[in-house]
Amino acid sequence: MGEEQIIFYFFAASVLISALFVVVMKNLVRSIFLFFVTLFSLAALYLFALADFIALAQVVIYAGGVLVLMLFAFMLSNRELLNSLKPVASGFKVNHFAGIFISLLFLFILFAVIIKTDFNQFDWMEERVPINASDNTTHQIGIQTMTTYLLPFEILSVFLMMALIGAAHLARKGGKT
Amino acid sequence: MTFYLTYVLVATALFAFTALFTLFALYSERKISAFIQDRIGPMEVGKYGTLQAFADIIKMLQKEFIIPTAADKILFILAPIVIFVSVYLGFAALPWAPGLIPSSLNLGLFYIFAILSIETLGILMAGWGSNNKYALLGSMRSVAQMISYEIPAGVALISAVMVAQSLNLQEISIKQGILTTEQVYFLGIWEVKSVGGFLAWNIFQAPHLILAYIIYFIASLAECNRAPFDIPEAESELVGGFHVEYSGLRFAFIFLAEYSMMFLVGMIGVVLFLGGWNTPLPNFGSAKLALWTSGIGWGIFWILIKTLAVVAVQIWIRWTLPRLRVDQLMSFCWKVLTPLAFLCMLISGLWRLGVMQ
Repeated sequence: MGEEQIIFYFFAASVLISALFVVVMKNLVRSIFLFFVTLFSLAALYLFALADFIALAQVVIYAGGVLVLMLFAFMLSNRELLNSLKPVASGFKVNHFAGIFISLLFLFILFAVIIKTDFNQFDWMEERVPINASDNTTHQIGIQTMTTYLLPFEILSVFLMMALIGAAHLARKGGKT
Repeated sequence: MTFYLTYVLVATALFAFTALFTLFALYSERKISAFIQDRIGPMEVGKYGTLQAFADIIKMLQKEFIIPTAADKILFILAPIVIFVSVYLGFAALPWAPGLIPSSLNLGLFYIFAILSIETLGILMAGWGSNNKYALLGSMRSVAQMISYEIPAGVALISAVMVAQSLNLQEISIKQGILTTEQVYFLGIWEVKSVGGFLAWNIFQAPHLILAYIIYFIASLAECNRAPFDIPEAESELVGGFHVEYSGLRFAFIFLAEYSMMFLVGMIGVVLFLGGWNTPLPNFGSAKLALWTSGIGWGIFWILIKTLAVVAVQIWIRWTLPRLRVDQLMSFCWKVLTPLAFLCMLISGLWRLGVMQ
């Protein structure tokens, strides 16, 4: 096993273990901070897929943005409200059944998709354009966004604009406008 | 294996540099503030108090680690490490001289920007982990301010990147001096490729970048939580901000991060706007000043001089201007800096298409 593989498995394990702890942990704030480990390790895995731009975008948007937003939402929320969330007593309950059922179903779908897919048949696999770690991917991303993927890009920006206007409207204090 | 040894050596050298710089900046900050306030500053330890910073750090090292009983111990202990490491990682992509850069990333600038955004997380960690209302308030203010000011800073940087056409900080540096292979125009008119010097710096290649640099500089002050944007540690309201519960070496690490951050943001500004490691002296006819003052040694010298000058201005501003109020701070960011930064970006695009063709 080369050192790349060792590092890869290290990060893969760290994603899985930290994700598990995020769900299991009782302390909400610690679990959000642990979520950072998951997101950051995921960024490292993107690096192994030679998607350096995506990896850094992951760090900026999720680790630096969404996570801080989650923490803010948590810290600004009412303490009484959080205390009223009592943990369900351990042991099997009827309302666990739906959760287990959905999780198993989802696991089954994932497995089915992974087994059925022939990874060598995709167009982008057959073209076999070699990517090097030193390639300037930003250049390609810029050109592709402005040509092939212009429509999705524009739709996304309109969506973001709508979200911004909506947020500004909600944040507005009282009064009818 | 020598491969890995170089990595370790480079990392150690950078760490040693941040530590030395912090000691130096600590002393100069005390001296400059003293001169501004018509005092003489530290005079007891060493000649003119030059050993004062060392005495301070020895005192720090001896102090006890105090963890408040009600604190969240894990978060409290981890926070200074996260804060410092996120700033320290940023140094990996900064160019020091022609051919001398720890890691020449294609996405260098984006990487630094990404890694610095983790610092906000460390500050929140410190604030929450301390379980102290002043610390929590300070960290909330700090994060709100850093996130808001990231926008004008980022857009101002992008307007420089649009002129330089690269995110690799080494390439951006090369394009602002005599080593470039492209055409360089002073103010878009005068070909200065062989003249070099300050005439080829980004702010003189495209003059609107002067405005972009001022925006970036102001926003970078806010990102360092330094006065006039130091409401996160406003002593009169919050005791000491998010690091109020920290003592000893942990406090030293938070301080180290703050001063390293000053140097880092100063150096990013220097690389993107003020020519990086390029010499400010142009070639005058037979006096090839730019040629004589380029090279690895000169590169390190110039970038250090420029960055230290920027840091000196940061210190000067801190001891000159009063603290802004929260609402003034936010309206300044959103109503003044952000629109101006977007204007700079627009002009950059037009400049690139119209003038620099």
